[in-house]
Amino acid sequence: MKKRLSVLVSLALTAMLALTGCASANNEKTEESNLFRVGMEAGYPPFNWTQGDDSNGAVAIEGSSEYAGGYDVEIAKRIAEGLGKELVIVKTEWDGLVPALTSGKIDAIIAGMSPTAERKKSIDFSDNYYNSQLVLVVKNNGPYANAKTLADFKGAKVTAQLNTFHYSVIDQIEGVNKQEAMDNFPAMRVALESGVIDAYVSERPEAVSAQAANSNFKIIELTDGFETNPEDTAIAVGLKKNSELTEKINEILAGISAEEQTEIMDNAIKNQPAAQ
Amino acid sequence: MSIESIVKIVQENWPMFLRGAWVTIYISIIGTLIGTLIGLLVGVIRTIPVPERGIKKVFLKVINVILSIYIEFFRGTPMIVQSMVIYYGSAQFLGIDINRIVAALFIVSINTGAYMSEIVRGGIVSIDKGQFEAAQAIGMSHAQTMFNVILPQVIRNILPATGNEFVVNIKDTSVLNVISVSELFFQTKSIAGNNFKYFESFSVACIIYLILTFTITRILRFIERKLDGPENYIIPGNQMQVKTPEIVADK
Repeated sequence: MKKRLSVLVSLALTAMLALTGCASANNEKTEESNLFRVGMEAGYPPFNWTQGDDSNGAVAIEGSSEYAGGYDVEIAKRIAEGLGKELVIVKTEWDGLVPALTSGKIDAIIAGMSPTAERKKSIDFSDNYYNSQLVLVVKNNGPYANAKTLADFKGAKVTAQLNTFHYSVIDQIEGVNKQEAMDNFPAMRVALESGVIDAYVSERPEAVSAQAANSNFKIIELTDGFETNPEDTAIAVGLKKNSELTEKINEILAGISAEEQTEIMDNAIKNQPAAQ
Repeated sequence: MSIESIVKIVQENWPMFLRGAWVTIYISIIGTLIGTLIGLLVGVIRTIPVPERGIKKVFLKVINVILSIYIEFFRGTPMIVQSMVIYYGSAQFLGIDINRIVAALFIVSINTGAYMSEIVRGGIVSIDKGQFEAAQAIGMSHAQTMFNVILPQVIRNILPATGNEFVVNIKDTSVLNVISVSELFFQTKSIAGNNFKYFESFSVACIIYLILTFTITRILRFIERKLDGPENYIIPGNQMQVKTPEIVADK
């Protein structure tokens, strides 16, 4: 009986492998399409957010009646225009973005993603389309509201988003009470508001909008600051390994000046749903 | 947190909440129905008596091994992992581009099927052996015994467990946002991300989830009572939950 079982299992495995081999041949079919499918969370203002109508240049989200707006969407529109393709926004959870890209469900990730060395192992990145600065967000009336340097956060309960470099820089604070990393910004803001944490590490644009929307929050811009890798604070377009799009997108991004970037970002911060 | 801000959030975002709730309920209803059918089928196959020898024995053994692998795999891995593997894996390694709603329905159905087949098997095993023997004595085949004698009782007896599965499905669809399905949880997250009012937005989602699950359990309880018929008639021969809590309370 044992023997027969193992024969069966190996037969089944061979059949599966054979099927896999046949099917992978038609893997490239979406490459030629005239669509530029961009993945983003649509829940990380001012980079990207979800709204109910197409005001302020928002673009329809695929398979839903909502629209996505924000800095990333504006950049995506410029890239799509430069490529001569039609822009399609695919709203996906953060953790689903990289698998969606590598499996060809989307053509690019434009979701405020930093080109870290870790991520570069599985996907390629374009040149930067934004550079941001790390800050800490604390409660207005909390014990760390007047902190100025990293040393002031000694003993504070600090966290950051899971799988981001925000989380690893927390170790630079001496004597910090580093908390479990959290999945997303909404969760961290709840934690901060409810006092579960004292501060969270974030990038400036996210912090500015959190402060604008909720008067209980305060941004701490450190005088000494975190030591960061320039490749971390930069934000770039995530692309499939060896994608032919990389070069073209870099050309288009080169045409967007730093002033224009700031202008788009200022507009995005002004237009985000919480600001209205 | 104030009532006014909750009302304001509902007023501003009700279309998003409703669309999210619709996707959630749609996936869980279809998923549970298909899953229950898969469960019935698998449960029936797994209880076919295996003959002593012959080609039928080999065939049944093989089928049973495959079904066991299916059940162990889908019961033993989280749905979020299955979504990632099935949706993105099929595109990356097999080149099959599945529509995300189809993928979601497939994942929920096959997941529910794995749990349900064990529930159904338990339901079948719990029926008194005498009934099988009696059916055999009057010359009924296994299929006839199943469809005419056993399954009508099994379906009644597994209803409470099916209700559990249903409620679990309504809540578990919230992991499907990793494959871009905009269900209630993902929609609420976007709303909270926009207005920065987390407690309020998630309180609304909480109430919607409660309404969904409560309605479903009430409907299933109603079906249970309908199936039971008059109170003085109780289907014999099972060790699972036979009676609705109302009847138990009466006694």
